[in-house]
Amino acid sequence: MTMKTLELGLKAIRVLQDGSDPPEEALLVPGWYVDPQTGLRIYYDPGSAKFYTLAGGVYIPLGYMNPAPKQVAVAPGDRLKVTISFKYTGPAITGVTGYYCLGVNGLFGFDEKLVQRTTFNLPQVTSPPSSPNVSDSYTFTIPTGIGTNWDDIYVKIFGGSPSIAGEATTPYLFGYENALTIAGVQPNITEFKIADFAKV
Amino acid sequence: MLDIALAPMALEPKTFTVGQKVRVTVSFKYVVGVNTTVKLLAGPYYTNLFGKHLVSSCVGQADIELAASSSPADGTGTVDFILIAKSLGGIDNGTYGLRVWIEDTNAVAEQDNVIIVSGNTSGGDMFTSMLPMVMMLMMVGMIVPLTRQMGEQDEGVAE
Repeated sequence: MTMKTLELGLKAIRVLQDGSDPPEEALLVPGWYVDPQTGLRIYYDPGSAKFYTLAGGVYIPLGYMNPAPKQVAVAPGDRLKVTISFKYTGPAITGVTGYYCLGVNGLFGFDEKLVQRTTFNLPQVTSPPSSPNVSDSYTFTIPTGIGTNWDDIYVKIFGGSPSIAGEATTPYLFGYENALTIAGVQPNITEFKIADFAKV
Repeated sequence: MLDIALAPMALEPKTFTVGQKVRVTVSFKYVVGVNTTVKLLAGPYYTNLFGKHLVSSCVGQADIELAASSSPADGTGTVDFILIAKSLGGIDNGTYGLRVWIEDTNAVAEQDNVIIVSGNTSGGDMFTSMLPMVMMLMMVGMIVPLTRQMGEQDEGVAE
């Protein structure tokens, strides 16, 4: 089986900082923007400090889940490597937990099907980096019983010493919807048509 | 969830005689995580006021092997079915649609009015239509002697 990779960007995070926003967020003013990754039109409201998308005449706040910029096809036995990267500025932190999850994102939240954790350290960084300076990854082995709708993925980081955030309250999470094309046990058949029929 | 894209079919109607075997060829694309076998079925159907009805006695089936593929792969399959005569509990003369499907999936394709069936002899139909009348006559034949016998017994009692 083959190794597939999926990369997630947690963007800039502020760990144990003085509360100043990263420069790219500080420049945001109310209005419509175009997501450079997905091309979707999104609205930013500085009052709630959230982005919204317009669907069916209703403004829906964008959460940590985002449309996947690409889809990775996986089948049972394949190994899926999920890599995160982000910009970090702050003191050295040991024992940060990386929480990697595959599952189904729905109206009532994320139904976690496969969960794995990693532990990694953050180096001491005194000046904001221009590009992501920390990365971590986990490699899933796709099980035989994977559901064909387990196509969403998210990652969060928390904990460490000193702690960056609690497991349930961490703001450092990011995910992609419909990131995977699952080839499960049941076949997925398309373009089914009668080519010919004749007597024999 | 399966996504099925049915392309418009341009199958020409063909004429068959009862007893003949019909071979249907299908094409499709598939994705599956493990090597698997699926069952392909095909058969004629007729349409009336209550919808479409498969002629189940004429449905044929075949197994298709699908090799594991995580990206869309081309698949083909063939399945045969026999147009069993009406006298043997099969199909009547007429025009039928053709339906093909893969069991336990929603892969299905069909087209109306492409199978024209002939060759059923009228003898069988005449016998079938006359059967109720023959049975009626047989019942009358059994009841009349019984009635006569009962009448004779009544006369004996009166004397």
